[in-house]
Amino acid sequence: MPVLSILIALPVIGAIVVALLPTRRQELVYPVALAMSIPPLAVALYMLWNFVPRDASFQFAESVVLVESFGISWSLAVDGISLFMVVLTALLFPISIAASRSITDRVKTYMVLMLILETGVLGVFLSLDLFVFFAFFEVVLIPMYMLISMWGSENRAYASLKFVLFTAVGSAFLLASIVALGVMTGSQMGTFANFDFRNMLQADLSSTAQLALFAGFGIAFAIKVPLFPFHTWLPDAHTEAPTAGSVILAGVLLKMGTYGFLRFNLTLFPEAAVDLAVPLAVLGVIGIVYGAAVAIVQPDIKRLVAYSSVSHMGFVVLGTFALTTQGLSGSVVTMISHGLTTSALFLLIGMIYERTHTRKIADYGGLAKVMPVYAGIFLFSAFASAGLPGLSGFIGEFTILIGSYLTLPVLTIIAAFGVILAAIYLLWAYERVFTGPVTNPKLEGLKDLGFRELAILVPLIVLIIGIGVYPKPVFDRIDSSVGIILDRIEATTDFEVPEYGTPDGVVELHYDAEGDHEDGGDH
Amino acid sequence: MNNAAFLPVAFEVIQLVGALLVLLVAVVAGKQRKFWAPIAGVAFLASAAAGLFQWIEVAETGGGFFFSTPDLRIMRSPMVVMDGFSAFAAILLGLVGFVALLGSWDLVKVLGGRAAEFVALTLLAVAGLHMMTMTPNLVVIFIGLETASISFYVLAGFIRQSRESDESALKYFLLGSLASAMFLYGVALAFGATGSLTIYGANSIRDFFSLHIITEPGILLAGLALMLVGLFFKVSAAPFHQWAPDVYQGAPSGAVGLMAAGVKVAGFAALTRIFVGGFISQIDTWAPIVAVVAALSMVVGTTMALVQKDLKRLLAYSGVAHAGYLLATLVGGMEGVPPMWFYVSTYAFMIIGAFTVVSVVRGPTSSDAPIDAFKGLANRSPEMGWLLAIIMFGMSGMPFFAGFVGKVFAFVVAGEAGYLWLVVVGTLTTVIGFAFYLRVVSTIFASDDDGDDIEPSMSARFAVIISAVVTLFFGIVPWPLLDVVRDALPL
Repeated sequence: MPVLSILIALPVIGAIVVALLPTRRQELVYPVALAMSIPPLAVALYMLWNFVPRDASFQFAESVVLVESFGISWSLAVDGISLFMVVLTALLFPISIAASRSITDRVKTYMVLMLILETGVLGVFLSLDLFVFFAFFEVVLIPMYMLISMWGSENRAYASLKFVLFTAVGSAFLLASIVALGVMTGSQMGTFANFDFRNMLQADLSSTAQLALFAGFGIAFAIKVPLFPFHTWLPDAHTEAPTAGSVILAGVLLKMGTYGFLRFNLTLFPEAAVDLAVPLAVLGVIGIVYGAAVAIVQPDIKRLVAYSSVSHMGFVVLGTFALTTQGLSGSVVTMISHGLTTSALFLLIGMIYERTHTRKIADYGGLAKVMPVYAGIFLFSAFASAGLPGLSGFIGEFTILIGSYLTLPVLTIIAAFGVILAAIYLLWAYERVFTGPVTNPKLEGLKDLGFRELAILVPLIVLIIGIGVYPKPVFDRIDSSVGIILDRIEATTDFEVPEYGTPDGVVELHYDAEGDHEDGGDH
Repeated sequence: MNNAAFLPVAFEVIQLVGALLVLLVAVVAGKQRKFWAPIAGVAFLASAAAGLFQWIEVAETGGGFFFSTPDLRIMRSPMVVMDGFSAFAAILLGLVGFVALLGSWDLVKVLGGRAAEFVALTLLAVAGLHMMTMTPNLVVIFIGLETASISFYVLAGFIRQSRESDESALKYFLLGSLASAMFLYGVALAFGATGSLTIYGANSIRDFFSLHIITEPGILLAGLALMLVGLFFKVSAAPFHQWAPDVYQGAPSGAVGLMAAGVKVAGFAALTRIFVGGFISQIDTWAPIVAVVAALSMVVGTTMALVQKDLKRLLAYSGVAHAGYLLATLVGGMEGVPPMWFYVSTYAFMIIGAFTVVSVVRGPTSSDAPIDAFKGLANRSPEMGWLLAIIMFGMSGMPFFAGFVGKVFAFVVAGEAGYLWLVVVGTLTTVIGFAFYLRVVSTIFASDDDGDDIEPSMSARFAVIISAVVTLFFGIVPWPLLDVVRDALPL
């Protein structure tokens, strides 16, 4: 059964169903759209259940030739890295749609765009043909652009255009590189062109070609991540987007960049990856510190969380270009964790914004007295985002730091300050918003979270705790796929991936309270 | 070969008969619109059907040459060729003509008594356009070019009361004639260099190059360059594009679609026929020129489109950029022909759809079309707004719209031919292009609409729907068309 094709098709079918709803029955749109976002989640969970752990090969693979002469095929598959991105996507979309109750203007269009967006994102994570990958990578732009520009806040026109142009400039380089790589692969195979990822792996590229193509792919993904100094679109887009848009942007769209680095840059151009690892890791660390420092002084709570994304994604880039098992595995876990925690924060901000219509920190104060449950969940999410041990953020970022210390000790020490800065900006924001006396009379009498809002947040909370306490099942699925990438780097370059002494040493030295992660990445 | 064959020239014959019938009916039955519509529509569809029969015939017999003139030594060559290339052009131009006529039917209604001439000229123009694709003889290509061009000069100035329309027609006529003259001079020089006017058959240009090496290629180069310049002008490739924005803006909105689409189709078909078909052995000479002009068109078209305030001018400049992407397929030689067909056939429908929406919003006789006039179009007419948005996405090259497939295949062909720098220029300009296409889309979806609701006519509605369906369908499922165009090669 073509599980992955079905998974990609389901949201489109949902979009068509929603589009065909009678215009007079506007009240049907929300429940139908929500219902239509559930089947992809079910399929994703089915995949998660049937995924064979500790198996590095591509699973659920399917392939149909589309254009013979250009070597384009509909090739889909998952491995340990994309698996969790797919599940995260399939989870966050129902949540975002559920959180879009307050959308009343052109709600049908909104839901159709959300479901099309889901297809695009799923396609990005599942495609193994670079032509198809690029198509999905680009198709994500249109619905996201329209979501921001039609339902965003005051400055939406500027923010949406900035988002599209930044991303599209990256895409230009990506497309040129994909075309060049496809042509090179094809000529080495004796055909016109070939875009299959697995065939591209066989292509023999000169060092110059590797560097040029690495740069082409890298710029596109660096803008998407976003890596300092390409991050300036992010605060605007995240802040102006409607709540669901921010959740999807931060939760899954940013991951398209880091996923691209892992899947394509490291694997296709190992030589260039080794050569450029340090500069990119430096950019990542700049992002960590810079994002956190700027987040501290933001007067707008949503913008604060947006800048915190720059910081967290810096960790992912650092872990990726540490080129160690722990670094790469930690990156994937941080991607998951950031998707959960930041989504929770954006959802919470959206919920309070619906009540007060302000995002200024200065307008709040003493909110914990009025909305105790809300304050509790917010504090929990802030702790998770800041990396409190026992929650998912800690597992990811700590593993990254362990991994990157092997190859980049100085950068790791600087990056570790990012964790402290994260605690500062989140807790200081918490203090200003929630503690003290109620200063703003408008805050009095606000209703605490309702059942629907709690139902939206609970799955995220459960997963944040779950991964934080027992990350072994996640690592089991990631480690072998990550291992393949590093094996390939070792095989094609003279770079040797450093290891910590014995596997047992890892356990005793670096994992204590939730030490279920015994064999730390040495499968 | 059969000199009495009807099928190879069926397209032109049907178009001419249709044009004459329209004029005749206008005289005999009075100026009654209801007769012209079916005649013109049937003529276009019958021409497309003739193209289909040609396609089937070519698939069975491999096509061939017709109407040879064995008596005169110099002219001993076929005048008509029937191959996959010309058959596909016939199908495409028939359908393009039909949809364009649907799109300009609002204008026909407004024109009243003079509309018969308008419809007849449309048919004649399309006959000329196809003539450019179905002949191996350079002079016949020129005749086709002029048949189409002169019809278009008249169409551009059809609203005689309008200064803009007059100016547009005069500008088009003066510059267009110059370009035609250059093309003809190029033909003459190429004849001087090779002793042949024909691409195929005995004593052809191809034979000449297989038997000779030109040691002093000055005249040949001048001939190739002049032919290129003439055709670059017609397809509005930079730096020969200056006429396009003025002509598009001045001409009546209802008539621009066919001008923009038809000339692109036939112009690129002729370029391909002459250079890929005839002068393929000289590809190292002309391909670099084409590549430079392609890059220049992409850059100039895109950057100029960024600053336009008028949708018609914007579409004209975007047409310059599209000419650049299409030229990128040309440097790939024979490999570039299928991508060229894919690109130009989808683009033709998109541009007709876009101009039809302009005609609906601004009125069919209008000249200017400020982008602000489209503010909130999605609220004023959800159908037109959404369809125009689809067409804009298609033109911009977003994935899952036809423009994306066309562009990527053009880039692959150019990359394969060794023009990687052209690929980089192309992808960058594509991205910059998003800015102005998205500006139009933002305007369409702006919530503060201050215009009245718009009720498009049935014909315009059909034209735009067909365009948008083509854009979307071949963006999501391009393979059927890709399979077809793979066989649409010149002999």
